[in-house]
Amino acid sequence: MKENGIDTKASRFNMWKLHLSVATVTLIPAAVGINYVAKAFAEGLKLPLWLGSLGTYLASMLAGPTAGAISGFINNIIYGLTLSPVSTVYSITSIAIGIVVGVLFNRGWFSNVKRVFVSAILIALTSAIISTPLNVIFWGGQTGIPWGDALFATMIGNHINIWIASFTDEFVLDIMDKVVVAYLAFFIYRQLPQRMINYFKDNQ
Amino acid sequence: MDIRDDSLQKIARRHWYNFVDPVTKLLLALFLTMLSFDFTPLYFEISLVLFSLTLLLLSRLSKATVNAVSFCLFLIVTMVVIQGLFYSHNVHPLFSVMTITFYREGFLYAATMSARILIIIFAIGFFMGTTTVSENAKYLESIGMPYKLVYLLMSVCYILPQIQQNLSKIQFVERARGINPQKTVMQKVRSILPILIPLIIKTFDQSINRSITLQLRGFDRPERTLATPKYPYFKAKFSHYLLSIVILLLIGCKLWQIISRFL
Amino acid sequence: MANNQQISINDLSFTYRHDSNAVLHHISATAPLNSIIGIIGNHHAGKTTLCRILAGIIPNMMAGDLSGDVQLGPLSPTQNWPALNQQTGFVLQDPASQLSGLADTVADEIAFDLLNHGVANTEIQHRVTEVARQLQLTGQLQRSPNSLSGGQLQRLAIATAIVTKPAILILDDPTSEMDPQGRTEFFNWLTIIEKTTILIVSNEIDDLCEIADRLWLLVDGELVNQGTPLEVINQLKPDWQIGTPQVYQLARSMNWSLGTDLFPVNVNQLRGCLHDRHST
Repeated sequence: MKENGIDTKASRFNMWKLHLSVATVTLIPAAVGINYVAKAFAEGLKLPLWLGSLGTYLASMLAGPTAGAISGFINNIIYGLTLSPVSTVYSITSIAIGIVVGVLFNRGWFSNVKRVFVSAILIALTSAIISTPLNVIFWGGQTGIPWGDALFATMIGNHINIWIASFTDEFVLDIMDKVVVAYLAFFIYRQLPQRMINYFKDNQ
Repeated sequence: MDIRDDSLQKIARRHWYNFVDPVTKLLLALFLTMLSFDFTPLYFEISLVLFSLTLLLLSRLSKATVNAVSFCLFLIVTMVVIQGLFYSHNVHPLFSVMTITFYREGFLYAATMSARILIIIFAIGFFMGTTTVSENAKYLESIGMPYKLVYLLMSVCYILPQIQQNLSKIQFVERARGINPQKTVMQKVRSILPILIPLIIKTFDQSINRSITLQLRGFDRPERTLATPKYPYFKAKFSHYLLSIVILLLIGCKLWQIISRFL
Repeated sequence: MANNQQISINDLSFTYRHDSNAVLHHISATAPLNSIIGIIGNHHAGKTTLCRILAGIIPNMMAGDLSGDVQLGPLSPTQNWPALNQQTGFVLQDPASQLSGLADTVADEIAFDLLNHGVANTEIQHRVTEVARQLQLTGQLQRSPNSLSGGQLQRLAIATAIVTKPAILILDDPTSEMDPQGRTEFFNWLTIIEKTTILIVSNEIDDLCEIADRLWLLVDGELVNQGTPLEVINQLKPDWQIGTPQVYQLARSMNWSLGTDLFPVNVNQLRGCLHDRHST
């Protein structure tokens, strides 16, 4: 029992390690690439979701919250520089998603179907809380997804506070997106070969 | 002959924007963005838009910037409509179509935000259009950024086009195979798994191999020869200090504006 | 006793952590430094794993249960890996993943190792030109690495491994994507490299028998034979399912032996054998 205690302490320390290993350095670009692919699939299939955080989830699960946070951050920076400059500011949201996924995963909240659902809701809440002020500052509260914005327009048309309207707009979209991505990540992680999981774990 | 320098670029004439270093260009984008947050009169915002547009037109207008603008255009239009109709401080009608009234305050509010977005797009477009990945990598390394971080940032820039290629190949194959049109969201999500999982495993395997290679090839060793910047830049350090100080002042100013509202 | 002038592997066993079965079982082998050692074996014989251990990838980057002892001259991949790595060149099975992923041109890709070693710029110019000439990549120096063919990519991978003039060169199936002519040229070129210990995994048994000083033969994770190509090929057992060189097949069917029931395995030996038969 005592040994177990030491082990968890050590792994918790590792979890927050800021030193970047070479394995993490090469994992992060892959994660950003997967974000991009997932997003492209969502657009290609005309899904009402983004899916653009799948790689960030996987990076957090494989190499811890720091790796996930950096993946999310760099994802939005590069995406912002090359495709849509304003999405750069949402890098803050992506950092938070990376951290929350990593912590939840390390505490076993990605271990079965029921727990994944709880995790997804926590992640969606985090994302919506951080995105809402950004939406208000840059887009007057909109999210850019037509039917979410229609909801937003109806709410402020009925004189509901802009913060509540914007949060609702964002959260409704986030909850669907984050639940689907969480289950995708949960399912995909279980399909990864053990040697791969070990490699990233050993080389943190 | 210098085999490691792109000889084409040597023959090509150096443009004025090659004298400005990448970090200064990024700081300039941040500076213009902060200006648009601090001073909100519409005329000032419009002149900032025009200034950043001029920068862009005097250098290189890339396709990416045009795409970014068209991407945001729809959002800008809906923003103008929604705020013009429903903005909470709407008092003065601007014009009416049938029974729907657009208000001045909401319209101005939306116009200011749109101007800000255009400023960001144009200023970033200037940075992206006038620098290359290798120029940025060399410059960042030469000013002391750890090579691991430089590598991280730059390899993302390289991986995206590669992934894009892989993706279009896969989509082509999928289309040739002919997927049945899926009805529900769940069916659609499930239908991408058989493509997504092998792609993800392949991508992660490549990162494992690459991380092994990099370590074997002596990546991030302390004795690494520092890269030299691609061009000699004009007063790079001075511009960094000046712009950083001004940006900090503008941020302080904005914070004071917000705080003083509550005092 | 550790001998500073040879490669010695002593009772080496290894099991990957994700696997319950050992990949290598009690391997012991020796070879002098500065020789060419061909590593052959059937599918899943543990050839790549052995290369990984020799290069120190195991246990420095991949974990598992490693026992026994490996010594490459004065250095050991388990004890002084940084020093060993500095003197080792490695070519991975998949040449594309050998690339740094950050070079605009082939020249920059080759220069990557030299930059990491802190070599001065003029020297880098010189060495990149030289290596490109040796591996026939001079015409591609200004092209993007992504535009190369499979064979060119493998030659680039080799160029990046040898540009630092390593004392030990480990090549894991480096010719799988080359055309026959390129492959022959490559093997011939290996023989002119001096002062380098070369360990090469390959299925090209004909070429290996032409150039290797020694062969190590792995079957299902066990080292079943080691010695000169002549010895190893002549002692093959059919259930190991190892291919034989064409020269050997021809000599056997024609019964052109070198006396004492040994059949030639390369062209030189065949020539000697025929010469002897004519003169008698």
